[in-house]
Amino acid sequence: MANDKTNNRKAILVTPEACIGCRGCQVACKSWNQLPGIKTKNNGTYQNPPDLASAAFNIIQYNEVPSKENPVRWLFVSRRCMHCDDAGCMKICPSGALYRTAEGAVAYDRDKCIGCKLCVTACPFDVPRYDTDNKVTKCHLCFDRIGAGMQPACVKTCPTAALKFGDRDELIATAKKEGFGTIYGEKDLGGLGSVYAFKDEPKLYGMKENPSIPSSVVFWHNYLKPLSAIGLGGVVAAAAIHYLAIGPHKEEKEEV
Amino acid sequence: MAEMVRKSSVGEVVNHWILAGSCIMLIITGYSFLFHIEVISSVFGGFETMKTVHNWGGVVFILSLLVSMVHYLKDAFEYDADDLQWFKVAGGYLSHKVKVPPMGKYNPGQKLYYLGIVGAGIAIALSGFGIWFMKDNVTVMLVSHLVHNVAFCVFVIAVPVHIYLSTLANPGTFQIMVNGMLPLSDAKKKYPKWMKSVGKM
Repeated sequence: MANDKTNNRKAILVTPEACIGCRGCQVACKSWNQLPGIKTKNNGTYQNPPDLASAAFNIIQYNEVPSKENPVRWLFVSRRCMHCDDAGCMKICPSGALYRTAEGAVAYDRDKCIGCKLCVTACPFDVPRYDTDNKVTKCHLCFDRIGAGMQPACVKTCPTAALKFGDRDELIATAKKEGFGTIYGEKDLGGLGSVYAFKDEPKLYGMKENPSIPSSVVFWHNYLKPLSAIGLGGVVAAAAIHYLAIGPHKEEKEEV
Repeated sequence: MAEMVRKSSVGEVVNHWILAGSCIMLIITGYSFLFHIEVISSVFGGFETMKTVHNWGGVVFILSLLVSMVHYLKDAFEYDADDLQWFKVAGGYLSHKVKVPPMGKYNPGQKLYYLGIVGAGIAIALSGFGIWFMKDNVTVMLVSHLVHNVAFCVFVIAVPVHIYLSTLANPGTFQIMVNGMLPLSDAKKKYPKWMKSVGKM
């Protein structure tokens, strides 16, 4: 699946070094997607809302990571759906509500969602959220905007180019040229559609190390799904062969 | 008309059809969920309604399975030397030349099949309730999803075998699930030990 899409695959490159934590991306996202505000409480951090929500497709995480030189060190990490190439949510979704756009994003068809929440369990990044109608919501890489040749709302509004949008390969190549040692998401899960340019360990920025789809979901997808189809076909074929080759049971003689 | 003997009570026959009907409906809708088959989901007006039908069909299925345990569970746990011999000759299904030992009311293949369905049925029902009602517990959801699909594989392999053996492979057997009766002469041939135990032979 990865190869036939690479030519056209778009991505968001997040560069926390450049982020000033203005949260313009959060506002732009809400504005474009017409999402309501969320009532939150001050819980001792500027991070607000505290987590992704059905009305917050992206947030800036305010990671406080003090170092010796800098006792007040904030690492701002813009977080949203990672648009995995190997997407657990798409794998497990029983109604095909989650789908891949031509640009390589993972979008959703709200009308098809049946509210089973299996995508939540299969997502390695804890991204999908359910709204009050019990339908899946999450970042869809503004597929409606990029399909019309525009940038995603969050990227459009970012004043410092901490968010960049473009061809995935180009973004990664440029980030490497600029000297970022770690490109998070370059290879994980077949390559993520939200890639991060870090100078430090991804762990420092609160990123998950070696993200993976739950092994039971992988096992189910690779073995149980084919078995359920091959099993039925095989049994029906075996019955037909038995009927033709050996034939039905006969009561040939009296046995008392 | 030959003298008839009752093998299955009306209650058994009716419950069997509730069990069979719900089971087949659940298998078909299950395949539709598994492979996003919209031809099937369209019949229900979409996946959302099909989910409701699948969930409540599952309730019907497990209730019917519990009722069936009153009918069959005791028999399904009783095996004798003839049953062992039955396995050695594969029930006579792989060759018509072997001598199949005399059978009771149910052969050991049927009894083991029933225990398999009870086991897989309880597993698929419990895991189904897990997916239905415990959506906010990731561990329960993942384990239930796995168990539900393992049990599904058991059903889609075992149920067609049961249907084949009870129709095409054994002419005359299907009749028992229509009115519960079969000719006494057939019963004596097929289930001699059962006939002896009820004093008809």
